[in-house]
Amino acid sequence: MTAPATSSNRKQRRLGYLGLSLLGAITGLLFLVPLWWTFVNSLRPGSDTFRFLNPLQWETFFTLSPTVDNYAALLNSDLGLATWNSILVSAATVVIGLAICSMAAFALAAIPFRGHNAVFIVVVVSFLIPFDAIAIPLADLFREWNLQNTYAGLILPGLGNGMAIFLLRTFFLAIPKDLVEAGRLDGLGWWGIFRRIYLPLSVPSLIGAGLTLFLFQWQSYMWPLLNGTDTQHILGPIALSNLQGQFNVDYGVMFAGSIVLTVIPLAIIIGFQRYFIQSVTTTGLK
Amino acid sequence: MRPARRRRRASPAVIAAAFLAPALVSLLVLRIAPAAVALWESFFRESLLRGGSVFVGFENYADLFGNADFNNALLVTLVFSAVINPLQIAVSFLLAVLYTRRAAGSKIWRSLVVLPIAVPPAVSAVVWSVVYRPDGLGNSFLALLGLPSQPFLSSPQQSLASIMVLLSWIGVGYWMLFLIAGINDVPGELYEAASLDGASAWRKLRSVTFPLVRRPLAFVLVADTVSNFLVFAPVQILTKGGPSGSTNLLMYDIYTRAYTLGDLGKAQAEVIILVLLTLVVVAVQFRLLRSSDSE
Repeated sequence: MTAPATSSNRKQRRLGYLGLSLLGAITGLLFLVPLWWTFVNSLRPGSDTFRFLNPLQWETFFTLSPTVDNYAALLNSDLGLATWNSILVSAATVVIGLAICSMAAFALAAIPFRGHNAVFIVVVVSFLIPFDAIAIPLADLFREWNLQNTYAGLILPGLGNGMAIFLLRTFFLAIPKDLVEAGRLDGLGWWGIFRRIYLPLSVPSLIGAGLTLFLFQWQSYMWPLLNGTDTQHILGPIALSNLQGQFNVDYGVMFAGSIVLTVIPLAIIIGFQRYFIQSVTTTGLK
Repeated sequence: MRPARRRRRASPAVIAAAFLAPALVSLLVLRIAPAAVALWESFFRESLLRGGSVFVGFENYADLFGNADFNNALLVTLVFSAVINPLQIAVSFLLAVLYTRRAAGSKIWRSLVVLPIAVPPAVSAVVWSVVYRPDGLGNSFLALLGLPSQPFLSSPQQSLASIMVLLSWIGVGYWMLFLIAGINDVPGELYEAASLDGASAWRKLRSVTFPLVRRPLAFVLVADTVSNFLVFAPVQILTKGGPSGSTNLLMYDIYTRAYTLGDLGKAQAEVIILVLLTLVVVAVQFRLLRSSDSE
């Protein structure tokens, strides 16, 4: 290794560093553009949406006179009510779904019983049938059961989540069986072992599973379209897409609604970032 | 004391059943039963003449395969899958490599790529509907590059590609997360050893990174394929399957068959075809990946 070789090597490396940084920055910014443009337009009147597009200029992506009028208008619109419905439905799904899924995961991970494999097969099969594919036959059943246009009808399909059960089971399996024995010596039944030992030890994976349940419900479109479209039970994404289809669209309000429907899951993902990435990678790698 | 002892004596199967019941019932009733119902009803047809539904065997399936709209939807779906899956996986792999290199602000730029995963599909469709308008953001960018305006969603040649772009905008960052996790698991010494052997960057990518992220790549391939078979919201919101059937993916075709045409029997048969198609593709991918693993 001679001196000039290392110095040219170093120069090459510095050039590579610069190139990679630039490429990374441009790519990142390109991904941001649609959302940023939506955000900026939510801060100006709908009549201005297309004003700064031809040609592109700095005002396309910035505004010096932001207003929150669109957000205020949202509060009293159908879309505002629909967003509340989305929050309500998602929250109920997470709370009830976590209870149901963690109990099932506990039984699969901690209680030795016959038929364990059969149950596990049911979980895996239900996991292999994509929900959206069976949404139409299920909507048909829900019509017969008078669950159409009810909150229960919107919440129920999100509760039993094979992925969440799988995730929790993986975590529960890592809890030492000695703790179960110790709990039994202290006079705990299975419910006590579940409540007092497993759940407190599993907060990170409960958050991960909760995120899975939340995102399933918040991102769903087909099911709420099939099962709850009256003005009282309509969910955010459906109300938003109805707005888009109208002839006279107020783009400002539509963009404000888009931002609200995005910021809620975004805040939750960022808040629980660590658990989100953890749950993403465990499902992928294990 | 006594109830506690009795509780302990209850057989584990009974206790397990109690813990499992709510989840099992919901999975059986809300996932498996509708699939079974779809299968069952796909063999029946409403008959006005005889009143009620009549068993017709595989006639619904035969009719579907003789139906031009269905055949078109099947073709569009297969072309769509064949293009979007390799594309999304290649892009997310390259992005994962890019954002795991030492570079300024890497974490920040990476999070901007991940950001769109929070955007619900319906919202992204609504946002891109404005981007794709003739006077929208898309054409402004083309003008900046000196390119002529494009019709995007209103052209049969461009509509499917336009939908792929908006889906990739949400999807690529998500799949990238799995691959980044895989790449970070590759021990640094392997790269050092490769560097000492004088391997080029491309060579290191091909011979060190690629084989070692095979597991996360396999997962991403399977999961991405399944999710792309189920694309519905952007089609329903933006194109309604058109123009001239160019974006009529199977999910949307099922939806129109069930609700616009009101032909539930055939729609159920189509549900079964979609589920089978998904399962077959996933099984084949698993097979291929396993046999290349044992090489």
